[in-house]
Amino acid sequence: MRRRPGIGGLQTAAAARDQYRLLGENVAKIRTDMMKEQLSTFRSQLEDFARKHKNDIRKNPAFRSQFHEMCAKVGVDPLASNKGFWAELLGIGDFYYELGVQIVDICLATRPLNGGLINLQELCNLLRQRRKSDRGVVSEDDCLRAISKLKVLGSGFEVISVGKKKLVRSVPTELNKDHNEILELAQGQGFVTVDQVERRLSWTSGRAIDALDTLLDDGLAMIDDGHKDGKRRYWFPCVSPISSLTGTDSL
Amino acid sequence: MQKLREFKLPNFFNYPPYFTLQPVRDTREKQIQLWKELIIDYCKTQKIFVIGIEDEFPLFTNTVIERSLTHEAREAFLSALVSEGRAEWMDKGRRKCLIFWHRIQDWADILLQFAKDNGLEDGVVTIEEIRFGTESQGTELQGIDRTILNRALKLLEQKGKLVVFKGTSTDDEGIKFSV
Repeated sequence: MRRRPGIGGLQTAAAARDQYRLLGENVAKIRTDMMKEQLSTFRSQLEDFARKHKNDIRKNPAFRSQFHEMCAKVGVDPLASNKGFWAELLGIGDFYYELGVQIVDICLATRPLNGGLINLQELCNLLRQRRKSDRGVVSEDDCLRAISKLKVLGSGFEVISVGKKKLVRSVPTELNKDHNEILELAQGQGFVTVDQVERRLSWTSGRAIDALDTLLDDGLAMIDDGHKDGKRRYWFPCVSPISSLTGTDSL
Repeated sequence: MQKLREFKLPNFFNYPPYFTLQPVRDTREKQIQLWKELIIDYCKTQKIFVIGIEDEFPLFTNTVIERSLTHEAREAFLSALVSEGRAEWMDKGRRKCLIFWHRIQDWADILLQFAKDNGLEDGVVTIEEIRFGTESQGTELQGIDRTILNRALKLLEQKGKLVVFKGTSTDDEGIKFSV
């Protein structure tokens, strides 16, 4: 801008600045308005969708998992807070908090039996038995989601993969690689012997006994000296859930 | 193994390691707890009062998974019941164990209820009648073990609720309630 001398020049410059500012504000306002409008449209669409499929979300675990995926894609976490429209609309937060509480309960109750390591499948079964009166089904995906929320509590709830199976750990014991390999081996028959571990994993006998003793001390394994062949078997309740055993029901 | 079909066995009964006494304390405690409950439940539904430790007691063996409790394990489970007052060794050698699936106090209460139900608050009844009479048929007193009955009677006698009097033979030993 060409500089003009005098009071008039200063006044014009000030007026121009004001006008620029006004224009700038206008543009910004229009932008935010547009954004707000888009957001509210999006939100109302999402709400509409959620309202329309409320029952599906509640009752159908597969649908629920897809809904979560969709939310994750657009950056919405319906579980982030128990307040807000998700909770009000769906009670979906409550659903997972409830699951979380029940999962903690089951883990604590079965801890003396399995040493604090439980098969995800068994956990789900126990959860279903417990909620049988409740509407809707609980899928493994729901369990995993609820457990991931429990992590916030720092209580050491964690899902670990051993071989093909997923195990839920509710005790702070760290499983090292040796222990993991033994658990994986045990998935075949539910138990291992020292011989088997040495042979299949090509370990020295000291290493096998050491690892098995640790698992025993942690309450993750139980010994069985009753087999005909006289070889001690180490059973792992976390890989062969007691609730799914078949055998005699009555004498 | 007569008339045992209706008894529902717990899942752990089919899990082999439960037949070996566990070396780790926490695991063993849980194991003993489960066995204690099973033994009491079983004796109660089957009306069993005495378990011989070497006997072929149906709970001590699971033929399906081919496991049998060792002597050590049997003694550990029964001893746990004894220490809780739910059982008593009948001999020094610990070969026979008397099971109180009701505590003596509860048996005493059952006796008092029996007296009330049959209008015997002030009446006389023989021991034989309590154990095998028509009045006790279908009640828990039917066929009650003699030792357990005597214990309960003694307890009530101390409380002044009844008097035991001896007859000419053990058969007509009787009691007089004064409830």
